[in-house]
Amino acid sequence: MSSTSQKHKDFVAEPMGEKPVNALAGIGEVLGKRLEEKGFDKAYVVLGQFLVLKKDEELFRDWLKDTCSANTKQQGDCFGCLKEWCDAFL
Amino acid sequence: MSLFMEDPAHFSKSRLKSELVAHNVVLPPVKSRKEIYVDLHLKHIAQKNAGDFSSDDEDQENDLAAKEEDAEILVQSCLTDDDLKAVLLKHGVKAGPIVASTRALYENKLRRLQQSEGQGHVNGVEKGVLYSDSEEEEEQGEQEDGESGSEGAKEEIDELSNQAQQGSSQNGDFVYPQCFLLSSRMRAHATRKWEPIPKRNSRNGIKSSQQIPVGITKASSVDQRSGLGSGFPSGTHSAVSNGGSSISPQQSFSITEMVQEMEKRKSLFSCPNTERELNGSNVQEHWSRFNRPDTPIVDTMKNQSPYYTPKESPYKMKPSQEPVKDTIKEMFLNMEASPTGICATRRRPIKGAAGRPVQYIYPDSPTTIERREVERRLVPIHIQILVFFIVACLLYIIYVCVEENSFNPFVALLDSPGQGSESEEGLVLQAETQVTPVISRQE
Repeated sequence: MSSTSQKHKDFVAEPMGEKPVNALAGIGEVLGKRLEEKGFDKAYVVLGQFLVLKKDEELFRDWLKDTCSANTKQQGDCFGCLKEWCDAFL
Repeated sequence: MSLFMEDPAHFSKSRLKSELVAHNVVLPPVKSRKEIYVDLHLKHIAQKNAGDFSSDDEDQENDLAAKEEDAEILVQSCLTDDDLKAVLLKHGVKAGPIVASTRALYENKLRRLQQSEGQGHVNGVEKGVLYSDSEEEEEQGEQEDGESGSEGAKEEIDELSNQAQQGSSQNGDFVYPQCFLLSSRMRAHATRKWEPIPKRNSRNGIKSSQQIPVGITKASSVDQRSGLGSGFPSGTHSAVSNGGSSISPQQSFSITEMVQEMEKRKSLFSCPNTERELNGSNVQEHWSRFNRPDTPIVDTMKNQSPYYTPKESPYKMKPSQEPVKDTIKEMFLNMEASPTGICATRRRPIKGAAGRPVQYIYPDSPTTIERREVERRLVPIHIQILVFFIVACLLYIIYVCVEENSFNPFVALLDSPGQGSESEEGLVLQAETQVTPVISRQE
């Protein structure tokens, strides 16, 4: 964990508003598409899932893996970015 | 199992969803209404079950194999959200809201926890039973049963009694192996018992209604035993109570469910002594009785050591009266358990496919059972409400009285200044009247 990605910084810098799901760090084209297919079209929907799992890292990672088969790094990025966003804006 | 599927409209959406998933049914779009899920459920799962039930007498093993696939999921998917949460809490996990989108995750987590616990503790909850060191005995029993299953009753009895004697001659705590043997058989037994119900439900509805009170008392006594027994014995007990009476310690079951369970038993053992087993469904008792009919000391030991309960005594009496019929039942148990010949890991799904009550039991650790026992012994809710209302009324009366009392002083306080001012005015008037004559005199 040397540094966070640009995407992470961008996401954490401001309220997420209506950003699409692939604005989340770790969620790219492919994972974003998969998530949209499952109904998670906006970043705030993923945030909702993140919150309903009580910001639990393990559960959220599991969920992300089940939902869009994200790899460990993608899980970690997404979790970290949502966590930081929550710390900043919630 | 289909007992509880008879009305899928009563299921929660998440449960319908998870059952559909368990049966490899393609889920409708995310925002579908519940009716769609119910329809799907009826279409796929009910049919599938009907098929299963119609064929279970002929080829049970095939069904079992088929059911094992989805049983793993069903075990937990049949728990309600609250129960899942409770079980997770028992495992030391503070679960968040269990909703459709989180349920699967928590189920996975619970499964993982249970597996790790089962490996960790020999005397753990359900996995402990499955993987404990008495597994060999259990399997041995199974194999023996399998070999002798077709050869008839007598040989089986001999084998069983041999096993029992082995167990008892080893040391004092032969109770545990016995429990295991029993529980394993009872488990398999219970699963099979679930299956043929829907066909025969309608036939003996009236008869079963007579048995309701019996069922209730039975459930309570089973409860007490499993609640009071500590550690392992209680674990096995839940299994025993399962197979024996099909009534779980769970108090949440409705009477109709119990009735249906009774019917099950009736339909399976159509011999006249089914009622006897219903009454004294303490199979452990039968077991020990028929194993060692000539050694009452061993018997009492068996009965006392695992249970710690005074409730035993009434049941102790019954098995001794008709030991022969008990043996028949035991034979049935074995006959049914024998064809499996599968190790415990594969048996757990079977138990899962058996239906809800069984699933309720297995995840229960002694602590939850004890807790439920305590809850059961608490004052009933309507009495609590009654007491609450009485207290509320009392408080209100007191409040009214106090208010009246306080009101009076207030009135007095309010009145007294008025009176004071009046008297002052009177004095002033008097003074004025006194002054005016003086003035008039001066004039």
